[in-house]
Amino acid sequence: MVDLKDLELPGFIVERLELGVFAVDPDFNVMLWNRFMQTHSGKDLESVQGQNLFEIFPELPQDWLKRKIESVFALGNYAFTSWEHRAYLFRFKHNRPITGGVDAMLQNCTFLPLKDSTGTVRLVVITLQDCTDTALIQQRLAEAITISDEERRKQQELIVKLEDAKNQLFQSEKMASIGQLAAGVAHEINNPIGFVNSNLGSLERNVGDLMKLVNAFEKAEAGLPPESQITLKRVKKEIDFEFLKDDFTDLIKETKEGLDHVRRIVADLKDFSRVDQTGWQIADLEKCIDTTLNVVANEIKYNVTVVKEYGHPPHVECVPGQINQVLMNLLVNAAQAFPERGQITVRTGDEGMYVWVEVEDNGVGIPPENLGRIFEPFFTTKPVGTGTGLGLSVCYNIVRKHEGELTVKSEVGKGTCFRLSLPLFHGKLDETSDQTEASTVNAP
Amino acid sequence: MSLRLNEDQTAALQELANIGMGQAGNSIARIWKEFVHLSIPKINMVESTRIPELIHGYVGDTEVSASRQAFHGGFRGEVLVIVTSNDRNGLAHLMGYEGSLDIAEREEVLLDIVNILGGACVGGIAQQVGAEIGFSAPSLIGEHLNPLEVIKPNQLAIETALSLEVRFIVENRSLSAHLVILLPNNEVKALADLLDQFLCTL
Repeated sequence: MVDLKDLELPGFIVERLELGVFAVDPDFNVMLWNRFMQTHSGKDLESVQGQNLFEIFPELPQDWLKRKIESVFALGNYAFTSWEHRAYLFRFKHNRPITGGVDAMLQNCTFLPLKDSTGTVRLVVITLQDCTDTALIQQRLAEAITISDEERRKQQELIVKLEDAKNQLFQSEKMASIGQLAAGVAHEINNPIGFVNSNLGSLERNVGDLMKLVNAFEKAEAGLPPESQITLKRVKKEIDFEFLKDDFTDLIKETKEGLDHVRRIVADLKDFSRVDQTGWQIADLEKCIDTTLNVVANEIKYNVTVVKEYGHPPHVECVPGQINQVLMNLLVNAAQAFPERGQITVRTGDEGMYVWVEVEDNGVGIPPENLGRIFEPFFTTKPVGTGTGLGLSVCYNIVRKHEGELTVKSEVGKGTCFRLSLPLFHGKLDETSDQTEASTVNAP
Repeated sequence: MSLRLNEDQTAALQELANIGMGQAGNSIARIWKEFVHLSIPKINMVESTRIPELIHGYVGDTEVSASRQAFHGGFRGEVLVIVTSNDRNGLAHLMGYEGSLDIAEREEVLLDIVNILGGACVGGIAQQVGAEIGFSAPSLIGEHLNPLEVIKPNQLAIETALSLEVRFIVENRSLSAHLVILLPNNEVKALADLLDQFLCTL
C-alpha cells in the first residue's frame, strides 16, 4: 500500500495541477504562490512571498479586487469571476501562442475563504483556471448562434413576405375572376346596347317623321266632316295627345341618356378590372377615383354624399388596376362606416414628389386598440363571413410596392381619414413597356 | 410526492436565514462603509408551478434581472436571485468599479450581488445548522425579463420550492432582491433533518 504522506500529495496537487493557486492574508500579502503562478507571472516564490500583492502587480484593478477579497474575508463565502465578464485577473500569455487568436489567457477565478478552527477567515485562496480553449470554442459557438439567429430572422421575414404574397395573390385572383366576369358581361352587354342604340336612333328619326305627318293631318283637320272631327277630338283626349307629343322627345332623350350611362358603367367596369393589365402607366388619380366611384356607386349611393375636393395633382406612374383596388377598398370601407347617413370627402393634391389622395368619412371611427391592427392580414371587425380581413392588408402591400404610404387617422365618433401618398415616378415604365402595350390593346 | 417542511422547521429556517442575512448585512456594511438594510426574510413553500406568479407577486409589473447559483454539500440545490434595481451604477461604485459600467461589468456586478446574497442566506443557514456547503460560480438567467418568464416550471425538475423574500437596501442605492431556493425532494429531507437536529440542540 502506498503511503500518501511520503508522496506529499497536497503539495503535489497545488504545485502541479494546471491551475493557478495563490493566497493572501487580510493585508493582501501573498502567502502562497504555486508553480503555475510562478511560470506564468515570471516571478518566483521568493520574490513574492510576504509581499503586498498590489505592490508586486500594480496593474491589478486595485479598488475592485480589494473589495472583492475583503468581502470574502468578511462574509466567509466563496466569490467568483468569469472570463465572460472579466477576461483575466492577471495578464498572462495564453497557452495557444500560435493558433490562439486572443491576446491573453482567459481566466475563471474562484476566491475561497480559508478558515481557522474558530471559523475566522485567515487567508483568501484564489484559484485561476485557464479558460482560453473553452472560451475560444464558446466564442465560435456564439458566432454560429448569431449567424443562425440572423438566418432564422431572415426566414421569418420571408415567411411574412410569403404570407403577404399569398394574400395578395388570393385577392388579385379574386379581382381577376371578377375582372374576367366583368369583361365577359361587358362584352355581352355591349352588343345589345349597340343595336338598342342604333334602333333608338332610327326610332327617333321615324317618330320625328311620324310627328311631321301628324302635324300635317292636324292642319287638315278643319276640312274634315264634323263627325270625323268629333271622333278625332275624342281619341286625342283619350290618349292625352298634347302631352304625348312633347313626351316623345323627352322619352327618347332620357332613354339615350340611360343608354349612355349603361355604356359608361360597362366601360368603367372594364377599365377598373383591367384583367390583364399589370404594367406601370402614367395615370390620372382623379380619373381613377371617378371610375372607382362609378363602379362602387351601388354600395355607397343610398346613404352617402360624396364630396370631391380635387386639387388636380400631376399624373403619377403607377399600376392603375392596383391603385383602383386600393381606392375601392378605401371608399367601400368609408361607406360602411355609417350606421345611417354620412359624407365621404375625397381630396387630392400633391406635395413635393408625391401625389396624395385622402378618403375621409364622418362615420363611427376606429377604436385606438384596433387602429394599429387594421393593416394586418385577416384582421376584421365585420361579422364572420362578411369580410375577409384582407382588404386593407392588400391595400397596404400594393402601396408599399408603389413605394408610397398608406396612413390612417381616426377618432371614435368623429370619423376616419385614410391618406394614400404615391411617388410621382418609379422609372419602371421602360421595364414593362411590352406589357403596357399589350394591355393598351385590351383597354376599353 | 412532494416533501414539505413542517411549521417548526419553517420557523427555524426563517430565523436562521434572518440571523445569517443579518450577519452578512453587517459585514457588507463594513466593507462598503454604507448602511445596509435587509428586511426580515419571509419564507414560503410553494408548488413549482406557482413560482412565476410568486415572483410576479413579489416584484409586480416591472422588468427584472435574474441569475442562479448552485450549492452543494450538507444539502444541495440552487438559489435564484431576482433583482429589481434602478441604481446598479451606484452599487458598482461601492464595489470598487470606476466610471459607468459596460454590459460585461453590469452583469458581473449582478452576479456578485447574487453571490453575496445567496452566500449570505444559504451559507448562513448552513453554517448555523453545522452543514459544510460549497458554491459554484453564479450564472446569469437574463436581464430585462418579464417576472412571469424568469422560470418556466416545466423546465424544473422539482415539485416544490422554498421561496425567501428579502429586500436589500444600501443607503439611497435601492436594490430589491428576492431569493428563491430550489431544493430537490431528497434535499428538502436533508434540510429538514438538519433543522430537526438543530432544534434538538436548543
